[in-house]
Amino acid sequence: MTAQDTLDIQNLRLSFRNWSGSVEVLHGIDLRIARGERVALVGESGSGKSVTARIVLGTMQETPGARVSGRILFGGRDLDAMSRTERRAVRGTAMSMIFQDPTTALNPVYRIGTLVHEVLKRREPAITAEEARRRGGDILREVSIDDPERVLDSFAFQLSGGMNQRVMIAMSLINEPQLLLADEPGTALDVTVQAQTLKLMRDLVESHGTSVLFISHNLGVVREFADRIYVIYRGRIVERGPTAAIFEDPRHPYTRALLAAIPRLTGGGIPEIAERSDSFLAPMVAHEEVMG
Amino acid sequence: MKRTATILLGNPLSVLGLILVGFVVLTALLADFIAPYPDHAGAVVDFVNANKPPSAEYWLGTDVVGRDILSRIFYAYRVSLGLGIVVLSIATPIGVVVGLLAGYIGGWTDYILMRITDVFLSIPPLVLALAIMGLLEPTLLNGMIAVTAMWWPWYARLVYNIARAEKVEGYVLAAEIIGGGRMHVMFREILPNCVPAIVTKMTLDFGFVILIASSLSFLGLGVQAPTPDLGSMVSEGTRYLPDSWWLTVFPGAAILIAVFGFNLIGDVLREVLEPD
Amino acid sequence: MTSEPILSVIDVTKRFTVGQRVVTAVDGVSFDVAEGECLAVVGESGSGKSTIANMILGLYPPSEGSLIFRGRDLPERRTLELRRQIQLVQQNPLSSLNPRRSIAASLRLALDVHGYGAPAERPGIIEDLLAEVGLDPHLARRSPAGLSGGQRQRVAIARALACRSDLIVLDEPTSALDVIVQARVLRLLEELRRAHGLTYIFITHDLSVVRNVADRVAVFQRGKLIEFAATARIFEDPGTEYTRSLISAIPVVSEEEAALRDSLARAGVP
Repeated sequence: MTAQDTLDIQNLRLSFRNWSGSVEVLHGIDLRIARGERVALVGESGSGKSVTARIVLGTMQETPGARVSGRILFGGRDLDAMSRTERRAVRGTAMSMIFQDPTTALNPVYRIGTLVHEVLKRREPAITAEEARRRGGDILREVSIDDPERVLDSFAFQLSGGMNQRVMIAMSLINEPQLLLADEPGTALDVTVQAQTLKLMRDLVESHGTSVLFISHNLGVVREFADRIYVIYRGRIVERGPTAAIFEDPRHPYTRALLAAIPRLTGGGIPEIAERSDSFLAPMVAHEEVMG
Repeated sequence: MKRTATILLGNPLSVLGLILVGFVVLTALLADFIAPYPDHAGAVVDFVNANKPPSAEYWLGTDVVGRDILSRIFYAYRVSLGLGIVVLSIATPIGVVVGLLAGYIGGWTDYILMRITDVFLSIPPLVLALAIMGLLEPTLLNGMIAVTAMWWPWYARLVYNIARAEKVEGYVLAAEIIGGGRMHVMFREILPNCVPAIVTKMTLDFGFVILIASSLSFLGLGVQAPTPDLGSMVSEGTRYLPDSWWLTVFPGAAILIAVFGFNLIGDVLREVLEPD
Repeated sequence: MTSEPILSVIDVTKRFTVGQRVVTAVDGVSFDVAEGECLAVVGESGSGKSTIANMILGLYPPSEGSLIFRGRDLPERRTLELRRQIQLVQQNPLSSLNPRRSIAASLRLALDVHGYGAPAERPGIIEDLLAEVGLDPHLARRSPAGLSGGQRQRVAIARALACRSDLIVLDEPTSALDVIVQARVLRLLEELRRAHGLTYIFITHDLSVVRNVADRVAVFQRGKLIEFAATARIFEDPGTEYTRSLISAIPVVSEEEAALRDSLARAGVP
């Protein structure tokens, strides 16, 4: 743990209490994101990857029946020590999120310009509509939207899925957050659009120096995006390391299965892979960290 | 089913609801054995004991002709519950069939059935019941017909909306492609998905049917004397307020207990069976 | 692929009226599906691939053109027998299986409707079907909520098998699944095709899946069939810019693939 870490998660546990008892979903997760670093958290559905993001965002803690323990340091500050109001203030300013389906994430009854203004007001309550519009136009141009004026005057349902995704990315970065949480962004979109927006997002967070926690079920999607990868299986991190190391030398049996399962562009058919195996529960493998 | 039961028993509100409804059902069923004066359900006159306030002998007092109010409440519950069961067991199937046909088949079937439903829904329920009761004799049977006529459209609307939403689900398409007929799709595929909403609505409505039946008899159009009815008891009692308060307060409380009990269960059921 | 095609799509056009506008969803499309092959139908949203599939399934007729199944014109109103012969596996098994009916009940419909087996034998047939798709027969009594995503999709496949049809439309059958589960379901589909001589029309947007399962590929764009060729050929020498852009959007996991992908993408630049 160093001072410049944007996010430092230590021994994070999550359990749900319901009428029949308690179920532990996260069994002690450690995850670190340095400033400006892009980190991917990869695992199957139900592995605990999305709830981890929701805990960092602070929404999970407000869910009835959820019990969270462990420490989350955000920019050196303990999230637990923050009041509910403070946590809400952090959301949307210092920390923002991009969702799977951009079209449903944008409120359909407001024009994009109004939504942008609302987002900006979270950080600068006194900002004027003109100033918000100017800043909105600037950031939309950054996500390669050529006619930002038209987009600002549109409603989300009047724009294509790809355009909405760009608007989402722009809005999530407009307040210059330190951390961007991206939960399978673009999986609801066409492949070519998804590929474009991923590239766009990568360029943008790089130029803004934003740290990213990218959540995905597909290792292939994160290969060209992430600096480091954490592989999660059933609430435990099973392997972590720099992206190149994970792809060139996957050591944990689960990571290997996850990699082998992805159909190859070079062909060769679909290999036989076990869905469950005791070896998947083997202890965590940590690759040598290249960064401090 | 097991899960639903567990949750109902674990929530203090629904437990209270179950206790209240249990009280109503048990007293109605066992009225012959537990009512202090079973014969007071009929046309008994005992002027010596008329209009007595609550006492050890008559726990809830007596009415203007000397009948025990507690006994009459137990028998009135029997009438109310019977009315509720009959009305809902006729109104629900009618509404379900209309709603499924209109929602699944669509087109002209939808248009005609739902316009008829809308006509019924656009008439205020009491006015409709009053009209029917005005045309027919004010008997218990006709009271049931009146209440049923105003009740089925709500089920038609409910089922229609669910059917329209479920129609586009993959399992309906799957059944159609396999070769399942309309009857199969409506009653075997879509209907089971309407059941939770129907059960919830029936529970809530049980209280409302009792309430509306009481309102009708309050207006003198429902159950006729000497059959005990909570609405008529309140209605007759109002003439003697505030001196003989027990004539109205206890039957009124009895209505409250029944309606409140069913609503409590219904509200919890809605949360359990229809998340979202 | 020498025998007569199981299905021929001849000059099919489909127009929809949306408000005042007429939208051409499928525009003059012709292709054959060979008996026993896996034909991938590839395209993005609005390409017309789903419209083609829905017409093949008989959900609505073409505006123009015809569909020939085993040498006979498919009529607008299909008989029960014709319906049975073309089955569907949908993308999301959570939606395609009735949440309030047991697995057994969902599988039994096909047996009841088409009269397979005596009524008393049907529970046994259902168990055999579940075993065939690699599921424990005891799952028959469960509801879909008691199954994992992969198990549910296996049930949906068993349901298509229950109809004993030869042609199955697979509509993005693995895109809602985790990668390991996807690999296992794809293998199952391949085994079933071999064992029963099934023909697949495999609708997908995932070209890396196509590369590994399809015999031939039909690429759709804006309602038109823009490329139709053997899988190997499509990936060695894509004939259109659009196909190239689809290939270049594939996420890859190895240097070897990345090199191949980039060389294909570059080949298109004049």
